[in-house]
This record gives sequence, C-alpha cells and structure tokens, in this order.
Amino acid sequence: MSKFEQALAHKDFVLTVELDPPRGVALAPLLELASRLAPRVDALVVSDNRGAMPRLSGLAAGARLAAQGAEVILTLTCRDMNRLALTSQMLAAGAEGIGNLLLVSGDYVSLGDHPGAKPVYDLDSVQALGLAVTLASGRDLAGQELDGAPRFCLGAVVAAQSDPLPPQLIKLKKKAQAGARFIVTQPLTGLEELQGFCRQTATLGIKLLAGLEVADPGQRQGVVGLFKEIRGSGLVAGAHLSMPAAQDDLPALLDACGL
Amino acid sequence: MIVAQRKDFEQIKAAAADFRKVLVVGCGTCVAVCLTGGEKEAGILAAQLDLASQIQGEDKSFAVACVERQCDLEFLDELAETVLDYDALLSLACGAGIQLLAERYPRVPVLAGVDTTFIGINRDVGLWEERCRACRACVLTTTGGICPVSLCPKGMLNGPCGGTRQGKCETDPERDCAWSLIYERLAGLDRLENLSAIVAPRDHGARSQPGRQVHPAYLRRYSAHE
Repeated sequence: MSKFEQALAHKDFVLTVELDPPRGVALAPLLELASRLAPRVDALVVSDNRGAMPRLSGLAAGARLAAQGAEVILTLTCRDMNRLALTSQMLAAGAEGIGNLLLVSGDYVSLGDHPGAKPVYDLDSVQALGLAVTLASGRDLAGQELDGAPRFCLGAVVAAQSDPLPPQLIKLKKKAQAGARFIVTQPLTGLEELQGFCRQTATLGIKLLAGLEVADPGQRQGVVGLFKEIRGSGLVAGAHLSMPAAQDDLPALLDACGL
Repeated sequence: MIVAQRKDFEQIKAAAADFRKVLVVGCGTCVAVCLTGGEKEAGILAAQLDLASQIQGEDKSFAVACVERQCDLEFLDELAETVLDYDALLSLACGAGIQLLAERYPRVPVLAGVDTTFIGINRDVGLWEERCRACRACVLTTTGGICPVSLCPKGMLNGPCGGTRQGKCETDPERDCAWSLIYERLAGLDRLENLSAIVAPRDHGARSQPGRQVHPAYLRRYSAHE
C-alpha cells in the first residue's frame, strides 16, 4: 500500500499539491521546491503536459522526486499516449517507486500551444484505470504475463461544474467501478458548488479531493478562504492545491492556509 | 455522403502551372451535392483558371468533363479517349475518386482540386455536418443514434470528459457536447441503462488501413473459378 493510500485510509484530511515539470531540462529548481513541499503534504501530484503544452516527462520528473523520498502521484493523460505507451509508462512508474497514478483524458490539443498535434485518446480515463488494474493483476491488456507487477493507488478527476452534470456522474460511477480510490475535482469556485456536487455523489462512497487553484496572485486570498471553508465543512477527504502560474509560491500558499 | 471543400485557388493554379492542357474532372455524386466538385463547380474552376492564364498571357486551355462517380471504374472508362488530349487531369472528386482516376489513367498526371473533409449529412443548402468516422465498430445502438466517435473530439466511449459547459464542448463553445446529446436522448427514451456498463477499449486492429470489404457473393463467384 502506498504512503498516500495509507494517508487516505487513516487521515481525516489529506493534502496534495500539483507540480509541473519544467519546459526544458532544468530539473534542479523542481527538485528543490519538492524537497520543501514533500514534508508538508501527503503527496506531490506531477502533471503530464498540463493544458496540452509539452514539458519534461512527468514520469522522468516523478522518478527523480520519488528517488529523493517524496510520495508521488503521477498524472498520465490519454491524449498523448496509446495503450502501449500508457502500459510502458505505468510499468516504469511502478519500477521507479511511484505508487499512485492520476489517470485523465487530458485537455484537447487545440486548447494548448501545439494545436496541430494528433490527439490520441486510444483509451479513455475509465479504460486507462482498467489498464492499471490489469497491470496490477500481473498481466498486460494482451493477457501476457508481466515480469513483476506494479501496485498502484489509482485516482481520477471529475468536473463538479460540468453542465449537464448527470452524464458526468455516470462516468464518475464507472471510474469508481474501474478502480479509482480517490477522485480529484477540477478547480472549485465556491463551497456551494461542492455542496451541490456532494449531495449528488454521496451514495458513490468515493474519497473526494477538492481541487483548488490559484490561477493568478489576486485569487490567493479567496482560495485560502475557500480552502478553510472546505476543510471545515467535512464534505471531502482532502484537498489538492495548484498554482500553475507560480508554483514556487506553493510553500507560501500552504503557510497562508495554516498548513 | 462524402463532404469535401475546394482547395484555395492559388494552390490549384500553382499545381496546374506545369501543364498546358488541363481537363477539370468533376464528379456527379457526393461532391456535387456539397457544391464542391460537380459539373457546375468544375465549369467555374475551369473558367477561373482560363481567365487567370489569359491575364498572365499564357497559352493554356482548360476543359471540363464530369462523370457520374469517379470512385467507380465503370464511369471512368468514358473518359478514355478524352484524356489523350490533355497534359493533366484536375480532379474535383473526393480522395477516393481522385485515386481511382489516377489508377485508371496511369500515364497522365492527376491533380487534387479539393480537400476531402468528412462523411456527413446535408443539414441545409450550404451546410454539412460530420456524422461518421467509418470506425468499423458502430456503437449507435447503445448511444441513442448519436455517435461519440465522430461527434466527441476525444472519441470517448464511457461518457463525457470534464470539459462540458452548458452542453457545449471544451474545444468550441458553439459545438454540442456529444455526451450531453446522448444523455438527453437516452433519458427521453428511458434507456439510460444503456450507459451503465463500462465499454472496453476499441479494437483498432479491425481498422487497419487501408480497408477492404468483400461481399460473400463475390467470394463465391471467384472461389468457384479456382
């Protein structure tokens, strides 16, 4: 069982932060930032070409973070990899000591800065969860026996603000059935949004992590306030914090949140 | 039907620049319905090319022919004598028609005058919409007659991604989310249980390119000769 899975099982409130690998090969600043964040959170979520913009591989960055003792949740997107590539990334993650995966469809390529790229989506996120479960069982999707099986705590995402919401909930249920142990929401804008969503998902019995994002510095106070409200509400199993435009400020955000 | 759009005129003119006598070959089926490559559009393109060459003082000629279907050898045969008089054929058929024309007349250069866009429907005069990706694994029975493979940019089979807002797609606020449409339709038919089972990954092996389809009667006919 990964450290994060243990935290999910035993702690009242887990905390994760999102880290983007560099757009380039300069990994040292990320490793330094991660070394300051890791002791303060339950896991570091390493993104995978977030926003359909290419960066150094999340697997490579995640492996280095795991090697320095951090608990890593590796994001893998169906947008950029077919089932063969996802299989090899998952096996590599397992071999590098990464025990948690966050499996997502991925923003469409036209939303990023390489809009002419060929989108893959060989699997969707539900099927990617199925792939990870299959690998954990000791076989690949072709039924071939693996020389050593990985073990993962699996996560997926949900958009509480999806409109209409019912089809999103149908898929959420499938994600839980397919093996997701935790679900991270896309960035929330208010407590009411979360309350409404939780009323509709109460019966699913999922461990929900509230996604909170500081998209620009002006939003920081609001996000800190919302974090405290959400933590106090007892609605969720934890929170996932991100500052995509200024991730170096994540330690200060944790300070402001009283963490 | 197959939908196509005409290439940019300058691009066509540049492609035809090396040839003195060019036959613009229209197709009377799909591309005629989508007002791109039928007899009328072939005539307009030939006139445009002719005018452009006159302005540049070139001694060129552009003629027009139109066949019923360029994707069928039976209809291409009728051009056999005509093509002998031309240096190049400028086809306005879909990619399939252009290729069969090239195959049928191996000694004549064939130029493409259109870009084939999709398999779609005729929504209105002058409006066509994509509806099929020819994926060889039709899911329309379970998805309420609405195709997630062609209408969802991600081709999702198990439900929507997280990008749906007010029933629209994250890729374009004007584009309906296929999964919102599927949900509404199945809810209206009281058939939402169609969506409850996890759909396995698609078998892309069945889609190995290029496709080939043989009618059982064709097999019987030719195996009888062996």
